[in-house]
Amino acid sequence: MIGTSTRLPAIQRLVEIKTIAELLHFKISTLLLHGGKLIEAVTWFHQHKASYEKVVGSTEFIFLHWDWMSRQFLVFAELLETSSATAQGFSSLNQGTAEISLTEFEFYPAYYYQLAAQYLKDKKCALELLLSMSETAQEINSCSESITPSGYVGQFAQLLEKGEGEALTFHSITDEEYTRYTISEAKRFQDSFEIIAWLKRSYESFTNLKAGRMAARCAFEVGREYFDLADPNNAKKYFDIAANFYRQEGWVTLLWEVLGYLRECSRNLGALKDFVELSLEMVVLPVTSYDDSGNLKNKNYGPGGPATFSGRESIHQEIFTLLCREAELLSSIGGNGFKLATDSPLHLEIDLVSPLRPVLLASVAFHEQIIKPHAMCSITLSLLSHLPLPVEIDHLEVQFNQSMCNFVIRNSQRPLWATSSNTVQSGSQVENEPSLVLVPNNWLRLTYAINSEQSGKLECLSVLAKLGPLFTISSRAESPAAMEDLSVWKHENRVESLPTKDPVLAVFGQKATQVDELEPQVDVSLGASGPALVGEDFTLPIVVTSKGHAVYNGELKINLVDVGGGGLFSPRETEPFSLESHHVEICGIDGAEGNDESESETGNIKKIQQSFGLVSVPDLKEGESWSCKLEIKWHRPKPVMLFVSLGYLPHGSEDNTQKVHIHKSLQIEGKMPLLISSQFMLPYRRDHLLLNKIKPAPDSEDMSSLPLNEKSVLVVRAKNCSEIALKLVSMSIELDDKQGETSCLIHQGGGCGDSPSSANLAPGEEFKKVFTVIPITRTSKLDLGSVHLKWRRQGSNITEACVLTKHKLPEVIVEASPLVMNLSCPPYAILGEPFTCAVRICNQTQLLQEAKFALADAQSFVLSGSHSNTISVLPKSEHVLSYKLVPLTCGEQQLPKITLTSARYSAEFQPSAVASSVFVLPSASHAKKTNSTVK
Amino acid sequence: MIVCVAVVGHQNNPLYIQSFTDADDALKLHHIVHCSLDVIEERVNNPKRSGTTLNEAFLGLLYPTVNYKVYGYLTNTKVKFILVTTDLDVRDTDVRSFFRKFHAAYVDAVSNPFHVPGKKITSRTFAQTVSNIVGSYGLN
Repeated sequence: MIGTSTRLPAIQRLVEIKTIAELLHFKISTLLLHGGKLIEAVTWFHQHKASYEKVVGSTEFIFLHWDWMSRQFLVFAELLETSSATAQGFSSLNQGTAEISLTEFEFYPAYYYQLAAQYLKDKKCALELLLSMSETAQEINSCSESITPSGYVGQFAQLLEKGEGEALTFHSITDEEYTRYTISEAKRFQDSFEIIAWLKRSYESFTNLKAGRMAARCAFEVGREYFDLADPNNAKKYFDIAANFYRQEGWVTLLWEVLGYLRECSRNLGALKDFVELSLEMVVLPVTSYDDSGNLKNKNYGPGGPATFSGRESIHQEIFTLLCREAELLSSIGGNGFKLATDSPLHLEIDLVSPLRPVLLASVAFHEQIIKPHAMCSITLSLLSHLPLPVEIDHLEVQFNQSMCNFVIRNSQRPLWATSSNTVQSGSQVENEPSLVLVPNNWLRLTYAINSEQSGKLECLSVLAKLGPLFTISSRAESPAAMEDLSVWKHENRVESLPTKDPVLAVFGQKATQVDELEPQVDVSLGASGPALVGEDFTLPIVVTSKGHAVYNGELKINLVDVGGGGLFSPRETEPFSLESHHVEICGIDGAEGNDESESETGNIKKIQQSFGLVSVPDLKEGESWSCKLEIKWHRPKPVMLFVSLGYLPHGSEDNTQKVHIHKSLQIEGKMPLLISSQFMLPYRRDHLLLNKIKPAPDSEDMSSLPLNEKSVLVVRAKNCSEIALKLVSMSIELDDKQGETSCLIHQGGGCGDSPSSANLAPGEEFKKVFTVIPITRTSKLDLGSVHLKWRRQGSNITEACVLTKHKLPEVIVEASPLVMNLSCPPYAILGEPFTCAVRICNQTQLLQEAKFALADAQSFVLSGSHSNTISVLPKSEHVLSYKLVPLTCGEQQLPKITLTSARYSAEFQPSAVASSVFVLPSASHAKKTNSTVK
Repeated sequence: MIVCVAVVGHQNNPLYIQSFTDADDALKLHHIVHCSLDVIEERVNNPKRSGTTLNEAFLGLLYPTVNYKVYGYLTNTKVKFILVTTDLDVRDTDVRSFFRKFHAAYVDAVSNPFHVPGKKITSRTFAQTVSNIVGSYGLN
């Protein structure tokens, strides 16, 4: 055997080398990935691939090479997917250190699956080519059965049986035998399913990685494989995925290709509507290249043909000859394999997001924003089509939300189709146009006048174009002001024209308009007399007078709204006044005058809430009137807006008529009627040492102090601060609780009987009432209760209830005064005549009180008596300081001022200036006169 | 050899795409250009992971396919330039200088007062300049 070469023939030798290389690569990659060395593994794979991808071997049997390459990618993809290394990610990745720069996607198995599928596809093509060329395909099968993969890696051998019962021997085979064997093996495999499986895996993986474009491409490839396998259902599913993505990004050439495939799928499935939709979408794609080869110098087009302008034109012609055939020809079957039966019309809906929007773009603009009922209003309808060839429309139907307004535009060149549509009623407006031809990229502008009887919103919904007997396209109407660009056309360079000739309408035009209501012929009057006063029930008459319209089903809505904003409800004051949180409320609505109570209550609605009321108005004939009284109560002074709206039907029985509304509003000021104030006065010329006045307790700064068991005077004033004359009915002080009654005594002052029980108060006038208060308990907080004031408007009925206004009196401190200083002095003095004035210092305590007094000289008096001294006042006794005074000047004169300082309390106090003055008369005769007048 | 160059707008819509080869399916090149946008997106969104510096317009090798290598360039207006080449051994400086020239040509084209930003580039001068740049690529 020496000298015989063990070398295998060329092809088999290469197979052997590659098989061993594959094994080695597999081992190394597994080890590297197992060790977590992801970058090394990928780099190693690159080297492996780079070393062998050029080693193609015989070009005739290139499928062997593609098969091998595909397997390399697949194996590495699976290794990468299963290894734990990928889970760690490639955070440690640093491109700078790697010899070959690696990119992100090379670390994802999806990338390798995709390439494995691609190589397998190459293999499939090469194999198909080989099989179609080889005429020996039949004989291949014959001799391949006995070839087995041998025990040696990468070596194949033929198993031969030599004679009967003899041992089996392996016999090396020639290249020819080997290729026959491999071809027959390869034929048995269904490569397409493998390709699909890998691509799907890749698609899913890319989708998870959010690499949408890669995923779309995989989906496209999957679809193409299914398409080759004549499985249109599955193919359609994947093409749809890809088409949706390309639509979003406006990749027209790619979209054209996918749509071409999809169109073929729907043709194979017999789905006419899909076929038409897809064809129309292709036709309106912005493919503008006139060159036959196009931008794509692509020899093997998809089924959609080349993406050129002529391609669009040919599809356009195909689809419109299919759809717009005359009625007679319908029975014959078209070349496309679709049957169009007369009873199955084809209707396409185009909405704002439909890819078919460029087929028929309908922009509708009303010339007026508000129109009167029954008045004619112009409306401009502009249609645009991106179809490559002009299209003639048989008729157009314009549909509104008020179906009465729907109208038809007929092309007078076309015969009238007998079948009428169900959206447009017979007897509706029909317009005739000499021709309705949509020229590519040119607006077809049509202006008509329409009128509406119904008030409210009038909106154009859609425009339906009829092309031929069975084909209709309905396009959603769009306002020119809010029209969006067409998604695929917006990046194209083309001349853009305005949908309407009037540029203002093109920018601001709306597809909807407002139809006004009928002019109301009923008067609603609100009669308010002046401002309202807080506390009273303010009545407001509402009169409904018919002036030409009868009133049926009338309904009066009443609303109170705060003028200052923020509602009738102030959150800050909610807690203490939670029961009356509304400062202004509607108390009631008095029934109609001249309307029997029994009759009105049967069918009438009457709902009253705090700021809202609803009253039904009885049916009124022309010229009649009805009135009611609204009662509103103010709890706070506040201006309020009253809104009253009357809705009624001018004709009683008709159902479709709309209510007519009248709105009235009135601002009413809510005002405080009376301003109540109070004041304490201590007994005349009797001063108490109130310690709290000198050293106020921390929490009683604003509170006044009253001496215990002394009669103090309380003056309550009520001032009319409104502009209305009021009648005061009574004023009294009510103690709030029993504790108050025991702690103090309150009497109406000023003697008995002479206090007026009622008084008239003109605006600005003040009413005063005097009360005496005797505190009998020592307390730091005496609650004196509140003033209850009853009043009513002057001139109003006496039967009308009085309004009670309450005013809380301030709390006072009651304390016992240790020292009281009494000034006794004649009521008047006569010039030059001496008089005596005594100051009594009374000690009310059980202790000896030492007091220091000082008398300041007065200019108008000559004084005799001690000026300053320190005196001791025994417990419960008094000390009198007596002075003789001679007045020197006439008039009201200030007596010499005495200042008393208590040593025990180190407090100093003086009688008040008002109390320590005396009037000096010029002579005794004056004094007599004065006395007589007083008497 | 450069087989395809493309300008892609900031909404990932193609603005200009031109192939310079008859050897392969041009549609495939469209697919490759389109897919490479995924890589650009990934690289822009995760700048640290891919190790590219933020301030550089040149994005480097985007991804290798069976026969091609794809390079990318991102302008500050988010317009992407994509280059597809068949050369296996590519010098970085060559690609960089190519993109620099290409960028200049693009700026000239969009500076045309009659060009509407965001629309496709249909200028013949731009096409001529681009084919000159492609022709001179790798010569020096």
